[in-house]
Amino acid sequence: MVAAYKALFNLVVAFFLVLSLEGIGRKITARIQRRIGPPWYQNFIDLFKALSKHPFSNGWIFDFGVLMALGGTMATAMVIPMGSAFWTPFPNSDNFFVIMYLFAVGALGMAMGMVGSGNPWSSIGVSRALTQMLGYELPYLIVISSTIFHYKTASIHKLIEMQRGGWNLLVMPLGGIIAFVSLMGMLGKKPFDIATAPAEIASGPMTELSGKYMGLLHIMHVFAIFVEISLFVDIFLGGGNFGWYLVKFIVVWVLAVMISSVLPRFRIEQMIKFYWGVPLGLAFLNALFVLLGWTL
Amino acid sequence: MALSTLLISLLVTSVVIYFISKVSWRAGAILNFLIGVFLISYVFALHIGVTSNLGTLFGQKLQLTWTHASYYFSAVSLLVIVSVMLFAIKWLDSQKYPAAFNMFILMMTAGSLGVFMAADLITLYIFWEIAVLSSMLIVPMGKKESRKAAVIYAVMSASGTYMYLYGAFLAFQRYGTLNISEIARHMVSDPSTGIKAAIFLLLASAGIAKSGIFPLHTWLRIAHGNAPDAFSAVLSGQLVKLGSYVLMITVAAIPSLRVFGNIPFYSGIPATNYFLIALGATSIIIGTLMAIKQDDMKMLIAFSSVANGGYILIGIGTMDPMGFEGGVLHVFNHAIAAAVIFMAFASVVYRTHTKKISELGGLIHKMPITFLAYLFAIISLAGIPPMSGFISKWMIYQALVRKGMFITAFIAFFGSIGSFLYVFRPLAGVFLGQLPKKYKDVKEVPPVMWIPMMTLVVISLVIGIWPFPVLQPIEGMRMDYGIAPTMRIADSSHWLIKGFSGSWNPVLVFNLFIIGFVIAYILYTMFPRPKKVDLLAPHKEEGAPINIYTGGEYIYTPELYHYNTKFYAGFERMYEKHPSWEKVLEMLAKFFHDLGEWVHGWFFRPSPSAYTFWVSLTILIVFWVRW
Repeated sequence: MVAAYKALFNLVVAFFLVLSLEGIGRKITARIQRRIGPPWYQNFIDLFKALSKHPFSNGWIFDFGVLMALGGTMATAMVIPMGSAFWTPFPNSDNFFVIMYLFAVGALGMAMGMVGSGNPWSSIGVSRALTQMLGYELPYLIVISSTIFHYKTASIHKLIEMQRGGWNLLVMPLGGIIAFVSLMGMLGKKPFDIATAPAEIASGPMTELSGKYMGLLHIMHVFAIFVEISLFVDIFLGGGNFGWYLVKFIVVWVLAVMISSVLPRFRIEQMIKFYWGVPLGLAFLNALFVLLGWTL
Repeated sequence: MALSTLLISLLVTSVVIYFISKVSWRAGAILNFLIGVFLISYVFALHIGVTSNLGTLFGQKLQLTWTHASYYFSAVSLLVIVSVMLFAIKWLDSQKYPAAFNMFILMMTAGSLGVFMAADLITLYIFWEIAVLSSMLIVPMGKKESRKAAVIYAVMSASGTYMYLYGAFLAFQRYGTLNISEIARHMVSDPSTGIKAAIFLLLASAGIAKSGIFPLHTWLRIAHGNAPDAFSAVLSGQLVKLGSYVLMITVAAIPSLRVFGNIPFYSGIPATNYFLIALGATSIIIGTLMAIKQDDMKMLIAFSSVANGGYILIGIGTMDPMGFEGGVLHVFNHAIAAAVIFMAFASVVYRTHTKKISELGGLIHKMPITFLAYLFAIISLAGIPPMSGFISKWMIYQALVRKGMFITAFIAFFGSIGSFLYVFRPLAGVFLGQLPKKYKDVKEVPPVMWIPMMTLVVISLVIGIWPFPVLQPIEGMRMDYGIAPTMRIADSSHWLIKGFSGSWNPVLVFNLFIIGFVIAYILYTMFPRPKKVDLLAPHKEEGAPINIYTGGEYIYTPELYHYNTKFYAGFERMYEKHPSWEKVLEMLAKFFHDLGEWVHGWFFRPSPSAYTFWVSLTILIVFWVRW
């Protein structure tokens, strides 16, 4: 029962933390571009406005896809440890590969629902998103595999405990940097916002979303960001108690926002060539270092 | 009933079925299905260790024996075959030769069961040929291309089988026995690495050819893509697994870690196994990249079978307890998923008469059950929880990461994420999106066709939540082959699957899912109800308002507003000019053809004088040597 409360707490934290951080991110981007920007709580307003409007539905698969996206992502967010063994809802099942593949359910649901809307722009967006996944996941998975090989565990809360002696980012700096670059792609931040590309393909998957569908998928996006950044904080920055975990989370987010606010967008094949070039090579180099025992 | 009696009576029954089917093919199909159901109950009731004699050949007893491996592989095969038999009761009315189909599918069942029961290499070979030949005779019943497909299938399969036969004779000559466990015992003590490696690779090549592993994978696309639609489900779901079985025999029943312990290559894996793993990895790359760009949906899944054959080989080849179980469990997962996918495609073709993704679209509102079957099958194929496909992939990753095989792991990850890409193409192009006007009267297939698909989907889902019934025989197999017998992976008392790097609880993951869905549904109902609108304004008069975003254009032709051609154009462009193994084979074929023409030209000049010259020369030679 305690586990259920912890899981629920995960969802509550994720919702308020990420939604406010998104607002802060908008503010930061605005300040970097010398605008004033919206207030930090703007995204709460946007979300509740979207949820309260009368929407249009393009058939049952559209509804089902949205439910699957939101449900799958929430299920993943419930497994995520927030920085330490105490904040781990399910210590027996926080295996990295389980989380990674559980996370794919949400992505599949979203892709299915949005293509179900019958709009080719959505299909193009989904095709780009999946291709992008092929790009960023490979270096990321290689880095995480070498981490698992090094610490002999894939359980996230055990990985956190193993990092008592020093953050994984410092143990294998190369791996940490590559994982951060992959994280940028996962978050869909510039220069990797190819899938949504508002000016190019009419926001891609979101083209047909109206009212509460927009709102529900925004909530899904919030949980997705929570999962992605939490994994990075837990695996590479050593987690820490709840307070430190929040601080690390915010620092990673702000860094990602700052980088993305000064970069233009890649084309799809540029993105693949980018990820399969230097980051993938360095990920293999990192794996080689781990095999040879050359970790710091 | 003894095992040998069962197999022989099955073969005889298949001929009887042919004559019954000549009178009424539907009666034959129903009888087939009933025999299949009987076989399943028979297989579940058999005790491990039962043996039976078939006869003698070269002074060697031909023996059948029932092991954990026979049980597991037979059960998986029968599950697929019986579903297809049920499916065929209705589907056969679109076929030209239903009687022959009924006969050959039962014959093939007998052959496959015989392969799984065989205790020696020759029995295995005999039943292997029965299975291959009868399946090969079903392949040309399809469309135009099918005849050529059957020839290519026969040649590729034969090239593997002959190598296997040569390996069997080599083993017989050296060890004086054909019994598999005897050969394994002799091989452990044999000092000559060269001969052992030769036997190993020759035996494995039958498996390589059959399970579509590079370099003998080219038949798979052609045969699976062009076979009669429902039979592709058997080809990809069951027959390919014969190859996996032979590979498992060569790698695990002959304990390759001990036999080749003197030639370790990397992380305790012998060079021979590593060679097979490299072939498997190549198959994953080829299968994935080619599947992504196919327009023919059956070809697409045929290439995915190549990739999944690679997963099975990699898993078994590591001979790691996790990897072995993962590879063997992947046999089950891929069998079920591929069977459902091909049956779903057969249903689509049954209604629309095309298998080109670019000609289809929007069938979800016409064929919702087929769509759901396809959806759950691809979730399993892509290895996403809570379907069973995830468990085997997780196990294989565990093995690869534990052994530190990062390059193979990289390829496995690539194949896995690539599978998201290719399974999504038919989903988006065939079932979702806009419905072309010509398909507006398409109906769902009758229950006889969707019940088998849904049954398999439910089995896959249940095993994904509670995998222990399937993991138990696999653990039994692992004990039989002595791969880390003390290690326990499936811990059903704690509902856990344990790897080297932590555990997970499939029941919990499924429950989380349900909770996530319930919360999502509550949120969904809390806010205003949506108004249902059509996609576009299909099948209405010009000037009607359009419901979706078209950038201000008036579009009344749904086909024009459907994105299904070159779905991943950006990515496909990157490997347009890829090297092709098929082209190499074609060049070889052309070379031999030309050589033949040249020789032929010498002997059979199209002129009477040359003909007379050769005839007189032959007569002279005959006189000279006085035969």
